Amino acid sequence: MKDAPLYLRPRVDPPLASLLGDAPFLHSLVDALGSPLNVLLPEVVAENAERFRSVYRRHHLAGRVYFAHKANRSSALVRRLAACDPAAVGIDVASLEELRHALSCGFTGDRVMATGPKDAEFLWLAARTGATVNVDSLAELDQLAETVRQYALPRTDVLVRLSGFESETGPGGAGTRVLSRRSRFGTPVAEADRLWTALERHADSLELVGLAYHLDTTGLEEKGRALERCVLLMDECRARGLAPRAVDIGGGFGVGYVEDAGEWERWTTALSEAVLGTRPPLTWRGHGYGLRNEAGTVRGSAALYPAHRPTAGPGYLDALLTGPAPVLGRTPATLLLEHLHDLYVEPGRALVDQCGLSLARVLEVRPLDGDPGRFLVRLGMNAGDVSLEEHGVLVDPVLLPRRGAPDDSADGGPVGVHLVGNLCLEADLITRRLVFLPRTPRPGDLLAFVNTAGYVMDFHAHHAQRQPSARTVAVTDEGGTRRWCPDENYWPLTHPQGASA
Amino acid sequence: MRYDSITEAIGNTPLVRIDPSVHGLRHIDLYAKLEMLNPFGSVKDRPAWHMARPHLQDAAGGDGTVVELSSGNTAKALALLAGMHGLRFKSVTNRMRVPEIKELLLLLGAEIEELPGQSECLDPTDTDDPLTRFHQALSEPGSTYLHTDQYFNPRNVEAHAAGTGPEIVKDLDGRAPDWFIACVGTAGSSTGVARVLREHDPDVRVLGLVADKSDFIPGIRTIDEVHQVGLFDPATYDSLAPVTSQQAIDGMLTLIRRCGLLSGPTGGAAYEGAVRHLAAVDAGLEGTGRRESAVFIVCDRAESYLSYVRQRRPELLGKARRGHSAASLGDDEIRAEARVAGVDEARRWIAEGEPRPLVVDLRGPHAYAALHIEGSVNIVDELFEELVRGGLPFSKRTPVLLACPVGEKSLRYAALLSRMGHPDVRSLAGGIVAWRDAGAPLVRE
Repeated sequence: MKDAPLYLRPRVDPPLASLLGDAPFLHSLVDALGSPLNVLLPEVVAENAERFRSVYRRHHLAGRVYFAHKANRSSALVRRLAACDPAAVGIDVASLEELRHALSCGFTGDRVMATGPKDAEFLWLAARTGATVNVDSLAELDQLAETVRQYALPRTDVLVRLSGFESETGPGGAGTRVLSRRSRFGTPVAEADRLWTALERHADSLELVGLAYHLDTTGLEEKGRALERCVLLMDECRARGLAPRAVDIGGGFGVGYVEDAGEWERWTTALSEAVLGTRPPLTWRGHGYGLRNEAGTVRGSAALYPAHRPTAGPGYLDALLTGPAPVLGRTPATLLLEHLHDLYVEPGRALVDQCGLSLARVLEVRPLDGDPGRFLVRLGMNAGDVSLEEHGVLVDPVLLPRRGAPDDSADGGPVGVHLVGNLCLEADLITRRLVFLPRTPRPGDLLAFVNTAGYVMDFHAHHAQRQPSARTVAVTDEGGTRRWCPDENYWPLTHPQGASA
Repeated sequence: MRYDSITEAIGNTPLVRIDPSVHGLRHIDLYAKLEMLNPFGSVKDRPAWHMARPHLQDAAGGDGTVVELSSGNTAKALALLAGMHGLRFKSVTNRMRVPEIKELLLLLGAEIEELPGQSECLDPTDTDDPLTRFHQALSEPGSTYLHTDQYFNPRNVEAHAAGTGPEIVKDLDGRAPDWFIACVGTAGSSTGVARVLREHDPDVRVLGLVADKSDFIPGIRTIDEVHQVGLFDPATYDSLAPVTSQQAIDGMLTLIRRCGLLSGPTGGAAYEGAVRHLAAVDAGLEGTGRRESAVFIVCDRAESYLSYVRQRRPELLGKARRGHSAASLGDDEIRAEARVAGVDEARRWIAEGEPRPLVVDLRGPHAYAALHIEGSVNIVDELFEELVRGGLPFSKRTPVLLACPVGEKSLRYAALLSRMGHPDVRSLAGGIVAWRDAGAPLVRE
C-alpha cells in the first residue's frame, strides 16, 4: 500500500513556464550540447531588479541594488544587469575574478562593490577602478589605506561591515535581547570606535560612504534591529565629522521554490512522522535532515531551506522596510528617508529568481531492490551540477518526455524515485528525498530542475572523474521567436549579428 | 479566605456549565474549567509552582536565575514566583508574538532572550539548533540556572494529575466526564487530567486540539511542534484535530459576549473545537435517551490579546476617529487646496518673508536632530496628526512652511490646514531630500 505522492512542485512564473512548455526545444539543446545543461533567461534578471527598484520607489528611497555575483557565474546575467540604469543597479563581487568579470561585462568601477575576503590584488584592482570596498575588518581597512598610499591610487570609497548587534543594548534599550547567529565576517559594533578613529586617520586615502551589515537569518526582527542600529551609528559618524550616506543591508531576501504551501506543510509533517517511525521513510536510508528521534520525541531542527515562502525577494524587502524599529519607533523605511540615507541591498538568490533551469538526461531506470514500485533513476549529471542538497533546497524536477506526452496510464501513474548521479560514489545523490514524478521516467527523457540560477546551478560544479560539467546557454525571445546562444556569446543587444528578425 | 502566601490560592478553580442555548448541544452538558481564575491569571500557575517549588526552596535569596522556554503564561507565573523568592527570571523564546505579553513580562521584571531566526544561507552540516545550544549552556559546570523544563518535566503533568483532574471529578459529583477537550501546548494539562479521568472511567474520550500548521494560537502547538514536546504521547488522545485562529476568536467572542467568561483565544479555541467536535456526537445521541458530559479548559483571560485580535479582526476594535484628518482628503482635493514652495522660493521666503514663515519639520526627532533647516520646529507627523485633529495649531497670522522627507506628507497637511482656514501654509516641494540635493544648508545643533 503506497501513500499518496508527496509532491513538492516548483513555483514557475510565465517566462520559465513557457520555456518548459517547449520540450522539443529543450531536448534539441541537450542533444546538441550534452547533459547536464544550464539554461538562463537573462531578461528575467532585469525584471527582478525592476521589482526591487519599485519597492525603493514606493518608499521614496534612493540607492542601488547590487547583484551578489557569487550566486551565479554566468556572463549573460551580469551583462544584462550592466545594461540596466547605472544609478539603480550595481554588482557585488567577492573575488578578484568576479571583479574582472564584472568589469569585462560592462560594469564601470563606480557601480561595483567589493565584498568578502580580499587579497592584495583584489584590493588593488578595486581601488584602481573606483569600486566601493565593503571593508570586513580593521586590519583590512589599514591594508587598503596602505595600498592606496603606496600605489598612488585615487581616494577610495569604503563601507564598513558591522556585526555583533545583539550585544548592544543601544540608547534607550529595546527591553529584550534578540540573539543572532554569530558571523565570522564584519567588525563587532562594540569595536566601532576603533573603526571611526582609523577612518579619521586614513581620511586622505579613504572616504566612508556608508555602513553595512549582512545577517544570515530569515528573521525580519533581527534585521530590522540591525538596520535601526546602523541609522544610530551613522549619526555617531556624522557627529565625528565623517559623512556616510548609505546603509547597506546585505542580502538574504529569499526565494519561494515550492508553489503550494499545503504540499510543503504535508511534506515537513511527514518528515517528523518518518523520523518518529510512524510512517515509512521519505528519504534515502531514512535521512532525517537534522531531525532525530530521542525516546519518541523529535529533537534538533530540520536543516532545510524554507522552500515555500509566502514573502520573499522584493516582498521581503518591503516587509523589512515597513516593520517595527524598537528604539526609534519609526519604520526602517521612514528612518532611512528622514535621515536622508541611501539604501543599498545585495540580493543574490532573489535577483536571479526564475532566471533559469538545469536539465539532465535520464540514463537508466532501475527497480529498487526490496522496495517494489520504487525506482533508482540515474541522471547525466551529479550532485555538484545541481547543488540542491548542499543548500537544503527541496523541490521536484519537471519531467519532459522524449517525444510528445504519452498516455500516463500506460506507465501506472505517479511513482517514487531516488535520483542518483553519474559519479562512481555512493553519496552522489541529486537529492536524498524520495521524489515523486507523475509517471515512471524512461531513458532519454529529460528532468528539468527549475529555478536553479541562485547558488544551485554552478556553485559547486566540479570536474571529478572527468565527468562533463554543464554548459550554459542564454535564451531570449525576439518578437515571439525563441533564440539561444552560449552564455559567453550573449550581449544585451536586440540583434547581435546585425540581422533584423 | 485568608492566606499566608498567594501561592496557596493556586487551584480550586470553578467549573461552570455553559448554557445549552449558547452551544446548541441537546444531549451533552458542556462545562468550562476556569483556569483563568488562578491568581497569576492562567492554567500555567499550577505547573509553574509545582515545577519551581523544589528549586525555589533550595535557592531562595541566592543569585540564581529561573529559566524557561516560554513566551506566555508559564513565563508570567515563573517571573512572579521568582520575584517572590528573590530570584531572577529569564525567558528564552523563539519569538514573542504578542506584544502586550512581552511588555507585561518586562513589567514583571523578566529578562527576555529571543532566539535567532532560521538561516537564509544554509550550512547543512550545522544541524544543532539554537535550542540544543541553550541546553548545553544550562548544563555547563557552575551554571546558576534553575531550568523548569516545562516541555519535558513530569512535574508539569503531576500538577494537573494532583489538582485539575481530581477537582473536575469532585465537581461532577465523583464522576468523570464522557469527554475532555484540551488544547495541546506542553501537553501537561491534557496528559495530567486525562490520566486522572481515565482512572475513574477508562471510557473517557480525550480530544486534543492543535493549531493549524500555518496559523498561530497562543499556547497551542502545531501538529509538527507537538512531536517536539517530551510530555506529548499520542496515546493520551483519542483524536487530534486542528483549530484556526479565526475559530479561536469566534469561540472567545461567544464565551465573552454570551457566557460572561472573559476568555482569551486559547480558551476560545477549546470551546470552538469542543462544540464543533461534539456536534456530531450530539446528533448520534438523538433518540438514545442518554446524556453525556464534556469539559474544556479556559486557559487564560482576554485582556492580553487585544493586538492579536486587532491583527486578525480589526473591525472588532477600532472605531473611526473623529475630527480633522489628512487621511480624509482625496488626491484631487489635495491638489486643489495645497500650496507648494520650491527650494529656491522657500529659501527666499525664510530669509526675506514679512513675516517670515514658521518652518515645521514633520520627521522623527532623531532624524531632525541629525540634520535640519536652521530655525525650524520639529513636530513629528504622528503628533501633528493629533494636534490638527482638534483644530488649527497655529495663528492664522503666522505663515507656515511644512517639510517632510519628500514633500508628500507635508502636501497633505498643507491641504488640510488650508481647508481648516489657514491663509498661508505651504509644503516644501520635494521635501528635505530636495533641499539637500539643491545644496541648501542643513544644520546639526
